[in-house]
Amino acid sequence: MSTMIPTMRHVRGFDVARPLSIGMLVLMMLPLVFLPLASIFWFGTLDGLGSFWAALNAPEAIFALKLSMVTSFWATVFNVLFGLFAAYVLSRYNFWGRNALIVTISLPTAIPTAVAGFALLLVWGPYGLLGRFLQPHGIQLMFTAGAIILANIFVTFPLAFGVIKPVFDTMSRSLEEASATIGATRWQTFWHVTLPSLRGAIVSGALLTFARAVGEFGSTILVSGNLAGRTQTAPLYIFAKFNEGQIEAANAIAIVLALFSFLIFSVLFFARDWLDVD
Amino acid sequence: MKAKAAMIMETPVHPISKEGTQPPAASIVGISKRFGKTSVLENISFDVAEGEALVLLGASGSGKTTILRIIAGLEQPYTGKVILQGKDVTELPARERGVGVIFQAYALFPKMTVERNIGYGLKIRKRRRKEIKEKVKELLSLVQLEEHRKKYPSQLSGGQQQRVAIARTLAYDPEVLLFDEPFGALDAQTRVHLRREIRALLKKVNVPAIFITHDQEEALELGDRIAVINVGHIEQIGTPADVYNKPATEYVATFLGAANIMDGVVRGGQVEVGSARIPLPAGAHEFSEGAIVKLIFRPEDVLLGKTQELPAGLGCLSAGIIEETSFVGAYERLRIRLERSGNSGDLGDTPFYLTTETPESQSAKPIIATRPKPETLSTSLRIGDRVFLGLTSFTILPKESRTKKGLAE
Repeated sequence: MSTMIPTMRHVRGFDVARPLSIGMLVLMMLPLVFLPLASIFWFGTLDGLGSFWAALNAPEAIFALKLSMVTSFWATVFNVLFGLFAAYVLSRYNFWGRNALIVTISLPTAIPTAVAGFALLLVWGPYGLLGRFLQPHGIQLMFTAGAIILANIFVTFPLAFGVIKPVFDTMSRSLEEASATIGATRWQTFWHVTLPSLRGAIVSGALLTFARAVGEFGSTILVSGNLAGRTQTAPLYIFAKFNEGQIEAANAIAIVLALFSFLIFSVLFFARDWLDVD
Repeated sequence: MKAKAAMIMETPVHPISKEGTQPPAASIVGISKRFGKTSVLENISFDVAEGEALVLLGASGSGKTTILRIIAGLEQPYTGKVILQGKDVTELPARERGVGVIFQAYALFPKMTVERNIGYGLKIRKRRRKEIKEKVKELLSLVQLEEHRKKYPSQLSGGQQQRVAIARTLAYDPEVLLFDEPFGALDAQTRVHLRREIRALLKKVNVPAIFITHDQEEALELGDRIAVINVGHIEQIGTPADVYNKPATEYVATFLGAANIMDGVVRGGQVEVGSARIPLPAGAHEFSEGAIVKLIFRPEDVLLGKTQELPAGLGCLSAGIIEETSFVGAYERLRIRLERSGNSGDLGDTPFYLTTETPESQSAKPIIATRPKPETLSTSLRIGDRVFLGLTSFTILPKESRTKKGLAE
């Protein structure tokens, strides 16, 4: 028997380290990730799906979800377009201060979100840098849906840019030159040649931005005013309901947000061949 | 602008030719280019005739790619003009020139199928879908890629990609085709095969072409004419046979094939190289008495004999000792150290020949000779054998002024 074991190990490739290390990994993730996620679903459906639906159908809940989606959508549209433009400029032209611009674009994600919200108030608030000139005209940007969009744009600013820029950098210039010699205008070249190569980066950049914007809390709570049914986004709703002790209401929205992020990251992961990003 | 571009596209306007002399399809007139303070091209001029293939041959950094980019409109010349089909296009952007560029890595659009790549030029020109479809079909059969038409570039071999790139330019009837190192990315075997294919294809479509390459073998095979480019200027332009057999400069002689170079002195209408006297060939440069010249000959032009009697008409150059023989497949290569003895009386102590270019200055540098197989079989030569050398063909050039060369480098 003693001579059999090494042979068996060799033939079957059995390695104790494998199941042990996999088990260890799962075990470590259990209290850190799996349990918190599972508990949302566990407690949210404890009283049956009926109460879950009821909590979800509360007008304020529906409004909060809708507001989150709409504000995140517009922030995403802006940041993807901006990211495309910025990536184009910063990878095609070399100029003084180029690196400083790249760093500045990337900065907003590194700033605590509460600071971001505060900074926006200092600019657009009634007594802010620019807000004080708008105020007399009856224009109040803060504590509206617009403020939420501004906050979302700020905190997700570099995400799409960060995904699109490397693709621009590695894209061969000769593709665009080929298109030009064939007879295309700059715009035709961009539309037919450059943009298709960026498709994956644009989609994944947009998904990242959107996922991040939907979950934004710190800056939103400062700039939105957190008015239920008016400027309360989904994360703010969860926070408010939790504070009021309405755990079921908070939990229902939490489930929706968790599922939503799960969906987005599954798309990013499983469609990465189609998106050709890795 | 659009109307203008369309006009040159459809009906190439030939200027009225004088007495049947066809105007060149493309003329490059006095092009120079600087990048900052560095001059990369100096006064480049050449013509490409209708249906002709011209090869720009040069080492990397010689400026040949810049010439191509200037013709394509991807780079602006500092001075000079680019004329396509009689029309000055120097000021036109790339997209209005109607040239076809086959880029080094082909630059096929990765997200388009073969069909759509080929049809791109027509789509851009807003042609009818039916017309595009017919043209694409015609081109697919010309480059024999019908069964691959739905594939993406990444699914094709290098050779197939190159054919797509050519078809893509032919779709809009280019004035001239420009090939940028077209075979650089391919393995040696495919290369030989493909350049024959392209040569045949070009003859079929009769579009003038300019190739750039650093590969002399490629240049000899592809070109109707070859322009040898060295540090931003044309050293020589001519048919492959001309450029190979009658190199105009030492650079051409050494860049295109192997060459032995010896110094000689002009005396009494003859060139003295050591003890040998070689008659100045008819039509050679005018040399003044006592001028120092270069004798250039190719390894295959050396005739070796075991006795001093060489075939009629061939003077004996010298005797030498074989230092090395190597078998290179098709032929045998020999390295021969010439003897320094045999000074002719009137030259006094002049060494056998002068080489001022090498550290071995003033000493005899070895000569490389090659022999075809039949000869190696009939007379075998070994290391240490003493042989007599004759030349079947050679070129005499004035010794280049060193200042010019120094500047260039």
